[in-house]
Amino acid sequence: MRNKKVHITIIVIFIIIVGVSLYYILTEPINLGLDLKGGTQIILKPIQSSEEEEIPESKLDRTIETIMERIDRLGVSEPLVTKDYHNNIVIQLPGVEDPDTAKEIIGKTAELEFRLVMGTFISISKQKWEFIKFDYKKGQLLIDPDSEKVLLVDDINAMTAGETFSIVGELITEPDTQEMLLVEYEEGSQEEDGQDNDTEENPEADTGIETDKVIGKIIYNQETRELQLVDYQTGDVSGEVLVDSRTGAATMVEKVFLTGDDLARAVAGYDNYGAIRVALSFKGEGVEKFAEITSENIGRNLAIVLDEEIESAPYIKVPIEDGEAEITGIDSIEEAKNIEIVLQTGALPITLKLEESSTVGPTLGRDSLNKGLYAGIAGLILIIAFMISYYRGLGLVSTISLMIYIILFWGVIAGIGAALTLPGIAGIILTIGMAVDANVIIFERIKEEIIKEKSPRVAVGDGFRNAMRTIIDSNVTTLITAAALYRFGNGPIRGFAVTLSLGVVISMLVSLLFTRSLLFLMAGVPRIATPGFMGVRTRRSE
Amino acid sequence: MIIVGITGFLLRGGFNRGIDFLGGSLLEVEFEKEVNVSEVREVMNELGYSSAIVQMVKTDLVQTESNRFIIRIKAKELGEPISTEEKEQILGLLDERIGVVGQPLQDRTVDPGFSRVLINNALMAIGISIAGILIYVWIRFEFRFGAAAILALIHDVLVTLGIYAILNREINTSTIAAILTIIGYSLNDTIVVFDRIRENTPLTGRLGYGRVVNDSVNITLSRSINTSITTLFPVVLLLILGTSALKDFALALTIGIISGTYSSIFFASPILVAWNNRFPKYKK
Repeated sequence: MRNKKVHITIIVIFIIIVGVSLYYILTEPINLGLDLKGGTQIILKPIQSSEEEEIPESKLDRTIETIMERIDRLGVSEPLVTKDYHNNIVIQLPGVEDPDTAKEIIGKTAELEFRLVMGTFISISKQKWEFIKFDYKKGQLLIDPDSEKVLLVDDINAMTAGETFSIVGELITEPDTQEMLLVEYEEGSQEEDGQDNDTEENPEADTGIETDKVIGKIIYNQETRELQLVDYQTGDVSGEVLVDSRTGAATMVEKVFLTGDDLARAVAGYDNYGAIRVALSFKGEGVEKFAEITSENIGRNLAIVLDEEIESAPYIKVPIEDGEAEITGIDSIEEAKNIEIVLQTGALPITLKLEESSTVGPTLGRDSLNKGLYAGIAGLILIIAFMISYYRGLGLVSTISLMIYIILFWGVIAGIGAALTLPGIAGIILTIGMAVDANVIIFERIKEEIIKEKSPRVAVGDGFRNAMRTIIDSNVTTLITAAALYRFGNGPIRGFAVTLSLGVVISMLVSLLFTRSLLFLMAGVPRIATPGFMGVRTRRSE
Repeated sequence: MIIVGITGFLLRGGFNRGIDFLGGSLLEVEFEKEVNVSEVREVMNELGYSSAIVQMVKTDLVQTESNRFIIRIKAKELGEPISTEEKEQILGLLDERIGVVGQPLQDRTVDPGFSRVLINNALMAIGISIAGILIYVWIRFEFRFGAAAILALIHDVLVTLGIYAILNREINTSTIAAILTIIGYSLNDTIVVFDRIRENTPLTGRLGYGRVVNDSVNITLSRSINTSITTLFPVVLLLILGTSALKDFALALTIGIISGTYSSIFFASPILVAWNNRFPKYKK
């Protein structure tokens, strides 16, 4: 009989597939999601600068490359960096010891700039001076309303140490336009002594400002979010106000003359005096430019700026010809190491903002996995007990199908290396229930046909034909839901969508092919195919 | 049931939305000894987080002390999630007062802006799956079947959400995933019944549509119940045995499966009959 051969072939094929699955299950470890094995997930959102409509793909890819490199240097094994469909960068770090540091290093823009210092703003009131703070977010200098005068002094280190320094300029608010103007300080009043903090008697600020003495006006640029010094007449940008990370003081710096792009190397360590530092060395053109600027500006301070904050501002004593510089004033060697990592890997082409971070400790993860598996196995035993007691012989058939389903499912998960997540476990448990559902639908149909006094073989054939349509319709709707989940879900939810759709497809194949063939073969053996076997009571009361 | 759900929703003044939806921070910590909720809350109050939600992780229902706690600080009150320094401060004081074991078991921070993305995604996923299902059922059956099926699943979603509101359980991304699963599952049930109705529709002339629907429901009844039971076995076990996140998920599924079975029998099918009586296409 040809039909019989077909059924035997199908069963043999399934046995082979089960063998292959078992091979995968035994050789490939299951890829656990972060919520099960413990680890940190970080989602970073690119901040769009207003000039670009959309962030170019290439920039995003370069950002991801840089992030990968930083993660490598942090020594995290098996990291995963992906983009989601909102172009957010999703980073998965299994088993990180210190997630907070990792977060900080990965997301840091690390834009390194070298700029000449023009001076630091101080306010003078009642014979005392203090630093002026700068509010980045609002782009405002926080000037005490009581202050009599706002001055720009050129060497704050010297001033604090009581050595000679000069007053470079004064910040004046134009009475008519309320513009903030930086005016050159009058000659002769320079070379002050820092120790007595009172300034020399100066004539009261003129009501009319002589335009030839105006260095420029200070304007907040909404687009770049920078507080800039622009030329009074032409509007060219000649400087910018930054915060000195050591003092918190607002500092005026000139334009960028060198960036981290020209950096060859950054190494964290100690200098000859045992102070923590990050040694920097330039390459190619950077060496020349650095030599040129340092030789032309002896006696001035050079600001080393990292992410819009001045890290240190050393005094230029001699021209630096070899392209070596260093960042000092670092609190700990760990911090120096972090700076080394971000500088070595280079700046991120895009500024990123932390959207979500989630860390699961390894104990909690293992706990979830064990409890999930435990519930799954206990549930499975209950299902089998229920099916056998209700459907008798057919129940046994469904037990075999269910086992095959679980082996195939597990094999596919192991084979394709899909990550098993916490919602994924819930998905598996749900699909076990649904796999049984297909059997229940089939068995109920067969029982109906048996009750109609059909022969076992005809009953199995008719029962299947009727059940098939129902099973396909009901599973397709679940697949639609799973697809929507996959498209719009994130991380763990996606894992759930994957396990759900895999489960639906595999269970459909098992019940529509394997179970069917098995039942057909059994129906051909008269001793097995009794109504009692089919779960129909022989002494029916109907 | 829907009314109960809505009442619960109104009584509680809305859902207990988790940090996934409001933005904020979640910390799960293990202490060296067992303490009760108020001891942990005291520490939080001292630091000025009086609105923080302190939840004890229980291993059985009756215990009043535990060494594991989940602390949620929603960004709603603070404008943005707590910073790394603030977190260190909280952990530091907890360690000083009670004694914390190692690193937090769980540490999650969601930016309020990002939570809006999560909500949009969730709504989008629900909308698209409903639309997809409606179209599919429409193609395979008839429009009225699709509409009745959608009404039944809206019922299921409302019941689940209502019970969540009554129990004051937190709604998070897992809950949304569970609700989407319920949508798929509830449809599954409804379709099995509808399939039988479709099959028996030619008998309408002899028996009347109401009778056809009634018979179809009766025939599929044992299947519906058996399927629900078998699916409920592992899900309920998960609800009893699982960890807190798994329990969240399992609760929504349990409610949804029960409601899904019930709605396809007592809700979707009567709608179909009522619809049919209004538009008597089959009455010959």
